[in-house]
Amino acid sequence: MPSQPDTSTHALSLRDVCYRYPGASGYAVDGVSIEVAPGERLGVLGPNGGGKSTLLKLVLGLLEPREGTIRVGGLTPDEARRRGLVGYLPQKVNAGLDWPLSVRQVVAMPITSRLRPWQQPGEEAKESIARAIELVGMLEHANTPIGRLSGGQVQRAMIARAVAAGPRILLLDEPTVGVDVVGQRRFGELIERLHDELDLTVVTVSHDLTTVAATSDRIACLRRTLHFHDAPEGLTPQVLADVFSHDVESVFGAVHVDAHAAADCDDPTHTHHEHSHDSAHNHPHSEDEGERS
Amino acid sequence: MNTLEYLTGSQAHLFWPGVVTALLVAMLGALLSPLVVLKRLAFIGQGVSHAAFGGVGLGLALGLGGDSLADQAALQAVVIAFSIGAALGIAWLSARPETKPDTAIGIVLAAAMALGFILYRVAGQRASASGSSRPPALESVLFGDVLSASWADALSAGVVLVLVAFALWWSRRRLIFWGFDEPASRAFGVPEGSTRTVLLVLLALSVVVAVNLAGIVLATALFVLPGAIALARSTRLGGVWAWSVVGAGVSALLGLVLSFEADLMPGPSVVLAMTGAFLLARLLPRGA
Repeated sequence: MPSQPDTSTHALSLRDVCYRYPGASGYAVDGVSIEVAPGERLGVLGPNGGGKSTLLKLVLGLLEPREGTIRVGGLTPDEARRRGLVGYLPQKVNAGLDWPLSVRQVVAMPITSRLRPWQQPGEEAKESIARAIELVGMLEHANTPIGRLSGGQVQRAMIARAVAAGPRILLLDEPTVGVDVVGQRRFGELIERLHDELDLTVVTVSHDLTTVAATSDRIACLRRTLHFHDAPEGLTPQVLADVFSHDVESVFGAVHVDAHAAADCDDPTHTHHEHSHDSAHNHPHSEDEGERS
Repeated sequence: MNTLEYLTGSQAHLFWPGVVTALLVAMLGALLSPLVVLKRLAFIGQGVSHAAFGGVGLGLALGLGGDSLADQAALQAVVIAFSIGAALGIAWLSARPETKPDTAIGIVLAAAMALGFILYRVAGQRASASGSSRPPALESVLFGDVLSASWADALSAGVVLVLVAFALWWSRRRLIFWGFDEPASRAFGVPEGSTRTVLLVLLALSVVVAVNLAGIVLATALFVLPGAIALARSTRLGGVWAWSVVGAGVSALLGLVLSFEADLMPGPSVVLAMTGAFLLARLLPRGA
């Protein structure tokens, strides 16, 4: 794995990042280093309370790391956020759905909130707002009040908002909490479409393996520290059990996805990719372990 | 028609400033009301209006109870400063993890009222001892006495209305983004602290002016009812603000007519008229 290129070429780079909340006894995030290439889709998998949201807040510049450095597209998080390089989908919809706002008005917010009071969005801005709405398949609802949408439609509007201002990197915080399997798959497809169309770097943090696998090329496991990162042996049951430190079976509810993700990670040569895929439903774990030994 | 008599008769010049002030103050409340309702700030408004009473007590105790324009202006300045301080104090206490917002408001509200009552009494005793003019009747402070307003009061209400309208227009986009989705707006670069402060200062300033019309006890109604009326009638941003301002203006005028006709206190009459408008807004079927 290439590991020492110039930081400025990375969409996202963290070096030995530590964060401890004021008054907390231990670190929420401890010595995390990771590099994400432009256009890459990284999944950060970890248990609840494992530091995932803290990591996102650090990348957004809403928290200052105690130690270490963070660069987003070569810039400090604050600067990157100010320039609109970062798109963000919050964990759950905290938004006031009783506000008298249309989908278009909501999607436009990251653009309009940067304008001077006397300025109106230009043609280019209007087009990128319309494109974002179209990409998430909400064009027919563009003028619908946000409060009349279903939960899934609200989330798609929020995704459109996240990409409307033309960010280079998209951060998704637990995007599929409370979404059923079909919804998760659709969500994965939507993120893939955005990634391809808008040439985005995508970072998904979740405690849910299916979600992470559906939206990522590469998976890192976070529980205070990064337990696995770029290791060739991949996402083995041991790694996952270590990260979640509870019943491994419950983590492996979606076995085929696990194996698929593991195969993507663990195969630098891509020689047994198909094989791994085929056998995914049968013995994914033993295969991973066999690969390591 | 008593109303025509009041407004065209020989005493008309005494009532017109009050009518104009009432209309301006109703519109002032209506400009902020949708934000207050949607951002759940009604209780903060309540806290600030009661804190204003602490400011009144403080001003009177400082000897600013005179009838001169300078005294009146200085008293207003003390009340405004006190109320803005209370609003920011509530926000500061609420932001601390160990205090819940309703606790913070409860503390500030009660403390300011208690201080206000004590200082009001002190000022009254001092005035009667020295033979100077007595502080305004407690009832008019608590429930408002808009019909005693002068043209100077109307002018200051107008100035505040223009100021608040301009400030809202200036920061409308970040106020709405922050109000609609606070955590996300932060992630998209909206400065959270200053946006909240702007809104609280505008609210505190407007509440102090509204106390003139509806008094300390009822002033909050002017910041809650117009927004509630508007949100019952429209799901569009522009529509909501239009309904809020027009609804508040019309029901303020109806309330004054009611007060003239039935010889009722103007503040409570306006509040009851707005409440009636709210019930109509909720019950009547919505066309568009």
